[in-house]
Amino acid sequence: MSDAARQSADSRGGALTLDGVTSGYGAVSIVKGVSLKVAPGEIVALLGKNGMGKTTLLKTILGMVGLRGGAIAVDGVSVAGLSPAKLVALGVGYAPQEQPLFQDLSIRDNLRLAVSSDRLLPAALERVFGHFPFLADRLAQRAGTLSGGEQKMLILARALMLKPRLLLIDEISEGLQPSVVDRIAAALSAERAASGATMLIVEQNLDFALRVADRWAVLKLGEIDDEGATSPDARERILRHLSV
Amino acid sequence: MLLILDILTTAGILFVVSIGLLAVFGVLKIINFAHGAWLTIGAYCAVVAAKLGLNPWAALPLAFVIGGALGGLAEHFIIRPLYRRPLDAILATWGLGIVIGQLITLGFGRDVQMTPNLFSGTVEVFGADYSAYRLVALGAAVVIGVAFALTIEGTRLGLSARAVIMNETLARGLGIDTARVRLFTFMIGAGLAALAGVLLTPLTSVDPNMGVSWLIGAFMLVMVADASFLALGVACLVFGAAQVLISTFVSPILGSIAIAVLAALVLRISPKGFSRA
Amino acid sequence: MPDDVSALGRAARPERGRARLSRTAPFVAAGLAAVALWIAPLVLDTFAVNVLTRSMIYAVLAVTVDLLWGFAGILTFGQAAFFGVGAYATAMALTYLGATPAWIAVALALAVAAPMALGLAVGWLSFYHRSTALYASVISLVTPIVVTQLIYSGGEWTGSSSGLVGFDVLPLELEGFFRLAAFVLIAVTLAAWVFVRSDAGRALIAVRDNDARCAYLGLSPKRLQIALTAVLAGVAGLAGFVFANASSVVAPENAGFLFGTELVIWVALGGRGTLLGPVLGTIAIDYLAANLSGDLPFLWQLLLGTAFVAVIILLPGGLAELARRAWGALPVGRRSGFAPRLVVSPPRPEADASDGPLLKIDGLAKSYGSLTVLENIDLDIRAGELVSLVGPNGAGKTTLMRCLSDGTEPFEGAVSIAGVSTAGLTPNRIVTLGVGRKFQVASVFESLTVADCLLLARAPHDGLSALGRAETLTLPQAALDVLRMTGLDRMLAEPTRLLSHGQKQALELAMVVALEPRVILLDEPTAGLTKAERTTIGAVLKTLTADLGIAAVLVEHDLDFVRQISSRIVVLHQGRLVLDGTVDEVVNSELVRTIYSGGAHV
Repeated sequence: MSDAARQSADSRGGALTLDGVTSGYGAVSIVKGVSLKVAPGEIVALLGKNGMGKTTLLKTILGMVGLRGGAIAVDGVSVAGLSPAKLVALGVGYAPQEQPLFQDLSIRDNLRLAVSSDRLLPAALERVFGHFPFLADRLAQRAGTLSGGEQKMLILARALMLKPRLLLIDEISEGLQPSVVDRIAAALSAERAASGATMLIVEQNLDFALRVADRWAVLKLGEIDDEGATSPDARERILRHLSV
Repeated sequence: MLLILDILTTAGILFVVSIGLLAVFGVLKIINFAHGAWLTIGAYCAVVAAKLGLNPWAALPLAFVIGGALGGLAEHFIIRPLYRRPLDAILATWGLGIVIGQLITLGFGRDVQMTPNLFSGTVEVFGADYSAYRLVALGAAVVIGVAFALTIEGTRLGLSARAVIMNETLARGLGIDTARVRLFTFMIGAGLAALAGVLLTPLTSVDPNMGVSWLIGAFMLVMVADASFLALGVACLVFGAAQVLISTFVSPILGSIAIAVLAALVLRISPKGFSRA
Repeated sequence: MPDDVSALGRAARPERGRARLSRTAPFVAAGLAAVALWIAPLVLDTFAVNVLTRSMIYAVLAVTVDLLWGFAGILTFGQAAFFGVGAYATAMALTYLGATPAWIAVALALAVAAPMALGLAVGWLSFYHRSTALYASVISLVTPIVVTQLIYSGGEWTGSSSGLVGFDVLPLELEGFFRLAAFVLIAVTLAAWVFVRSDAGRALIAVRDNDARCAYLGLSPKRLQIALTAVLAGVAGLAGFVFANASSVVAPENAGFLFGTELVIWVALGGRGTLLGPVLGTIAIDYLAANLSGDLPFLWQLLLGTAFVAVIILLPGGLAELARRAWGALPVGRRSGFAPRLVVSPPRPEADASDGPLLKIDGLAKSYGSLTVLENIDLDIRAGELVSLVGPNGAGKTTLMRCLSDGTEPFEGAVSIAGVSTAGLTPNRIVTLGVGRKFQVASVFESLTVADCLLLARAPHDGLSALGRAETLTLPQAALDVLRMTGLDRMLAEPTRLLSHGQKQALELAMVVALEPRVILLDEPTAGLTKAERTTIGAVLKTLTADLGIAAVLVEHDLDFVRQISSRIVVLHQGRLVLDGTVDEVVNSELVRTIYSGGAHV
């Protein structure tokens, strides 16, 4: 297959279908019967307060938390029971929120861990330097020495290394200054424009979510409480769910 | 002067004996109490190599390969079901060690085996004769240490292993096949133990239970090093020095328990041992 | 589990009769065993009598290993060392002092006291605040190695590597030693049986299951573990005394690490966590070994090793587990758990009704390295207040709770409970100041029943019997209310692992309330609960604070819930206290809206 042909074959994001997904830890089910469709190339923001199951839902899609009920499909093919390694191989990229970096490893090694073989590394690095040029000059620096905003950009860059068809992003804007939030929003838009990637983003920053996403859903106690398109009246409607 | 050589060579031998256990503990978070049995397996590889008429040095690669292969089997059938029960893993690997010891007894008898010397004679150091082999063993420790460091720092497997040590959840989330990393690490750890077994043959008698006497020391050193490769080197030097000095100036019997007692006290004061220093 | 549910409906009276029966059963069994073992030497040949004497002494050790490992969860290789110390103390006393009745008594006293002293030291070394199970096992491994080397270095005093031989012993024949060993074994096993079935025995299992919860019930798990280590070291020493007398030989191997591992193997094969399993397992294996190892010495070890590995991986409950499964399949084998009757405790006289705050936080700050998690937190909470802590992820709420309930947590500033500073106090000491803590993930004892969990929560008030089960369980009215509202009062005999998540949360709350705390800390008590369960918990919390004058601090994400029950809301954001006000003030605050929409940067 020529490079151009691969380009066109890949330039469509994956479709994600969740049907009655239930999952959790130990005796507790945290996600309860969530159904959600994300069309190819669409960006959906998953909103909700802490402890409502957003992160668990992302981890369930990725195969890190066991699926207890329901079905998960990417492009109509069930991925239930697959390991995270298999899902990553299928083109899923993940930007986690908790302990998201190997603080003691270099930026280069953090990025390198996202590719399965060092042969893929140069091209993948070039790809993410396009989004975040500052990384190119600082490959040898320890990830832990980056500023908070730079760390977030590194996390996103790592998820973009393999040109994913489906991106799962967990609170990438958390604790960031507006200027960094802008850069991240720009990167996400650019990525979708370039590769047509589908994205499911978990957010607490409502303004950021509304800026980036096409649709939103609010998760409450593990269930979808409300959902809609990012129309102008969405902000007030969502705030009713989020505030005290 | 000879005392310093004694300390250095003792530390080198301790390092060689412990490094495989450290690799397994770091990545798998499991204490392999069959480690002693793999030392024994290595030593018997030297016995077999001699019987086959091979060059004594050929036992080294042979032991690494056989030890690694057997390690792969052990990981798959015994370690893997017990990842969530670390204390039970200690017991199961101890039981495995008994089984291996008895299989070796059935195959070779319980008598002490003779092995050809890898390197004999003495060399003159600072005007005194010193066992040449102890110096060779020190050299081997340095070579193994450097090779281990290069593997950890330079290869993909090393990077993946470090990632699993630092944050296994994140490593999994990035698509690293952690089960395979564990398997390979265990195989390398077992291979290194067998390699150490060959290197021990000129220093100790070879019998089916020879590994057990080395196990506890290695175990305590790894506990103190807490999965840190450099901390293991430091621990070997410090405790090796303590052992040599106490044996020389107080009593050899107290020297033989120096490592265990000192390591227990260090852990009581600082549960992470030397790794934070 | 349909059987257990149907058992709940049974009338209480037959249960009591059954309980009495099961209380006398061990004594009857012990009596029968004693008679059988008294007769046994008359029919067995000399070899068998000899071997079984040794096997029964080893079985005593197996009981001690089982209590430590199977019941209290402490994997130990150290019992061999205490056995060895007891045996050597006996042998040395008899060798150098003589075997007159008086010196034999001295030998016996030494054989128990010396290992106990060593056990105290080992326990003190092994168990401390934040010690790990692995560390205790490491120490238990070092102990026999050290003892063995000390024996080697003892020169002619200890006989070095050849041990001590040929000293005068108790004036008994072969049969006499057999009966002595049998008597000690039966006595120790019976005592262990009574103990593990008693209320105090529940505490062992509780420490194994969840020692954090124990500490937060005001029990001292570390002290219990040290005491257990010391007492069982004494029992091992007693076995050593019998062994030295019966064999008239002691050797360094008797104290060695390898013997320690053998004990663990026997207990594992017999079935840890049961008493008869390890006793019968040890006797059977040691007896078989004596008979078989002559003919096929290596094959026997090989089989034993293989069986051990297989049991650890596939059948962690050992052979006793197999027996229990078979027994459980029979209709007679089914038995519902024991449950005491619930009694209301008299209301406590109102504690000092002074106006000072019950909980006072003064300039609290905490950081991990360069990362500041909390800074400059000042907060006063008075009796009867229900204060909710809210704030987005990472605001520092859970960290604050931890600082309040554990004085050994490194932080700056001061926390005091009713005027007493908590600086340096371990969680169990803070509980005695009147603080109860409910964890985020329901923290109960999974192997125990509902009634047992509550019983342990009452231990600081009512104590625990080491001899039997209390017929009644006295609880404060508020704890009873929690049980009634959630239906747990009808499930007292139910093992907690069968409870739903909501029931576990309610049980933990009832346990915390049973402590009769003055301050109660609740970390997301409604996480994962249904709407109805939330309403129930909310009602309970209102009663506790408004009616009983308890001060409550609540971390909660469900803001509807917070709105309904709080008397005050405190907002944390990025480690700082940004707002402290009434429900209305906070709900209408523009700042709070900004924080929750993710935009605020302080």
